[in-house]
Amino acid sequence: MKDTRIDRRLFLRGLGAVAATSALAACGSGTSRSSGSGGTSSKTLVVRNSGGAYGDANMKAVLEPFMKETGIEIKVINPNYAQMLAQIKQGRPQFDLIDNSMIDFVKFAKEDATQQIDYDRLKTAKNADIAKNLLTPTAVGKNYWGSVMAYRTDAFGGKKPSSWADFWDTRALPGNRSLQHLDADIPELEFALLADGVPLDKLYPLDLDRAFRKLDEIKGSVKKYWDTGALPGVLLGRREVDVSTVWHGRLNDLIKQGQPLAYVFQGARRQSNGWAIPKGAANLDAAYQLIDYSLRPEVQARFAEIYPMAPVVPAAYKDMKDEVSATLLGSPKNLDTGFDADVEWWVANDDAVTKRWQEWARV
Amino acid sequence: MAVLAPPPEPVVAAATTTGGWRRRLSGRRTRFGLLNATPVVVYLLILFVYPIFSTLLLSLKGEDGGFTLHWYTDALTGTSLDILLITLRISAETSVISLVIGFLLAYWITRLRPIWAGLVMLVVVVPHFISALVRTYGWIILLGDHGLVNETLMALHVPGAPFQLLYNELGVVIGTTSVMLPYTVLLLYAVMRGVDRGLIAAAASMGAGRLVTFFRVYLPLVAPGLVNAGILSFILCLGYYLTPALMGGPKQTMVASLIDEQVMKNNQWNGASALGVILLLLTFAGLLLLRLVKSVSEAAKNRGAA
Repeated sequence: MKDTRIDRRLFLRGLGAVAATSALAACGSGTSRSSGSGGTSSKTLVVRNSGGAYGDANMKAVLEPFMKETGIEIKVINPNYAQMLAQIKQGRPQFDLIDNSMIDFVKFAKEDATQQIDYDRLKTAKNADIAKNLLTPTAVGKNYWGSVMAYRTDAFGGKKPSSWADFWDTRALPGNRSLQHLDADIPELEFALLADGVPLDKLYPLDLDRAFRKLDEIKGSVKKYWDTGALPGVLLGRREVDVSTVWHGRLNDLIKQGQPLAYVFQGARRQSNGWAIPKGAANLDAAYQLIDYSLRPEVQARFAEIYPMAPVVPAAYKDMKDEVSATLLGSPKNLDTGFDADVEWWVANDDAVTKRWQEWARV
Repeated sequence: MAVLAPPPEPVVAAATTTGGWRRRLSGRRTRFGLLNATPVVVYLLILFVYPIFSTLLLSLKGEDGGFTLHWYTDALTGTSLDILLITLRISAETSVISLVIGFLLAYWITRLRPIWAGLVMLVVVVPHFISALVRTYGWIILLGDHGLVNETLMALHVPGAPFQLLYNELGVVIGTTSVMLPYTVLLLYAVMRGVDRGLIAAAASMGAGRLVTFFRVYLPLVAPGLVNAGILSFILCLGYYLTPALMGGPKQTMVASLIDEQVMKNNQWNGASALGVILLLLTFAGLLLLRLVKSVSEAAKNRGAA
């Protein structure tokens, strides 16, 4: 037994080394900003966004040109909602500007985590004719995006789903489905109600009992609830499911590569995202400059060309090609195919719905 | 993990009197040793003991700031309890399957020439260096409805194919087993290497058949390794997060995912802390079981010797 002991000790030491390295690596990514880089003399602006294809498009269309024009350095990080809130509460957030969905900004405001926006410092936004509900006291909207249906064009023997009722019709269109997980965003209750015959303009306040009853019908066909924006593409691309919900834009690369996938705009749920400044931000001036820059019509149009999120500044459509604006959920042409998520309703009912969804999904 | 290390030397005798303590502390070597230990102790206090205690306190704090146990009653009723039981079941399945496969693999490796053994060991361990996310997506490509395994089975006209190997409990167990396998193989290999081949030969020379030799000589010799490996993979699996989240369906939520949901989604740190403490207690229970099994087997051995 003596030998085995030594071997075991060696093994444990190895384990310890692995654990220590990973712990160190974790520390490396979690260090707070040194005071040197946080001072007013610094020119580095730290922006938070959700990364992925969306982050890449932002870098190319907005952040890089901004850096070139102003000489301000930008660093992008991707903490999630809970991490951001924890950092702000500690008083020293690692970021100066948050790019996130407007629903989360209402929650941030409730937690008193974001600053009042000084609209006098936003010259462009002031006269840009941006929708009133996107200029809130603590957040400025910048893009429209949305959740849509997507399907494999080679799946249903030539038939094509064209509405949420078709998504729910597993007899006419048999095949696996995928819906969004609670971890990713607010649940897709509206789609169930639309499938059940509720008109687009009569959705809110949502009838929870009716929505969950309708969701019961399809539960057996839902193979996976996707929890990251990239997963619907993987599931559809690997033929794990034939039809899924997806954040519009996430499949564009796959479609370009020749995958037989298509979006359905009918019944799309539109949301908006925007900017907010956390309390304790170190670089206010640069933050305001970037907000203002991102709302210039040409910048808004340039972003929409790379990533299908619609501008909030109407003037952006002037220079935009028709084939680009046709791909945008939020463009005037597509407005009557979908509906706007009622932010107020969702913020007021999020906790209750979350609880109910969690119980429902697991039984 | 501490249980896996050899038992500490008995120190009771020398330290019973205060004089003994003083003499011990005054020794130069002891002082030097204490000095050396200080950084580690401080490190552990700050980064290990303090966070665990604040988690414990958080789990006992009510919404009004007072003491409460209702986070624990929440965690041990309704769907939370179901999730806890599912976690225990998946962990048990994983540890049993990875023990069986790990046993066969480790046994095979001990029979190989050293150079081949090293190579096979490498094959077992190297997947561990690949990021878990990549590994899991690899599984999806392998095990999906149109993955390699199902395509092969369908080409061979296996009845019932394609099988659903993903997004159910089977998928999770396949995934977690592959993660735990290196641990069980390494542990069992170390123990098996220490088995004296002469004993096997002796058993055979005394007329024991292969099966009898295996069950009455070999298995008892490697039993400590089996217990260690089984409980280690069970404990590791209890807190596992990524694989169940990616390879399971909605019904395979494990406690770690629930904790993540509570913190990230519901901003509910108290409930999450309670779940964390319950996981920790389960881990301790596992380690206690390990101790118990060991002392029982020691006692049995002593009786046998007498």
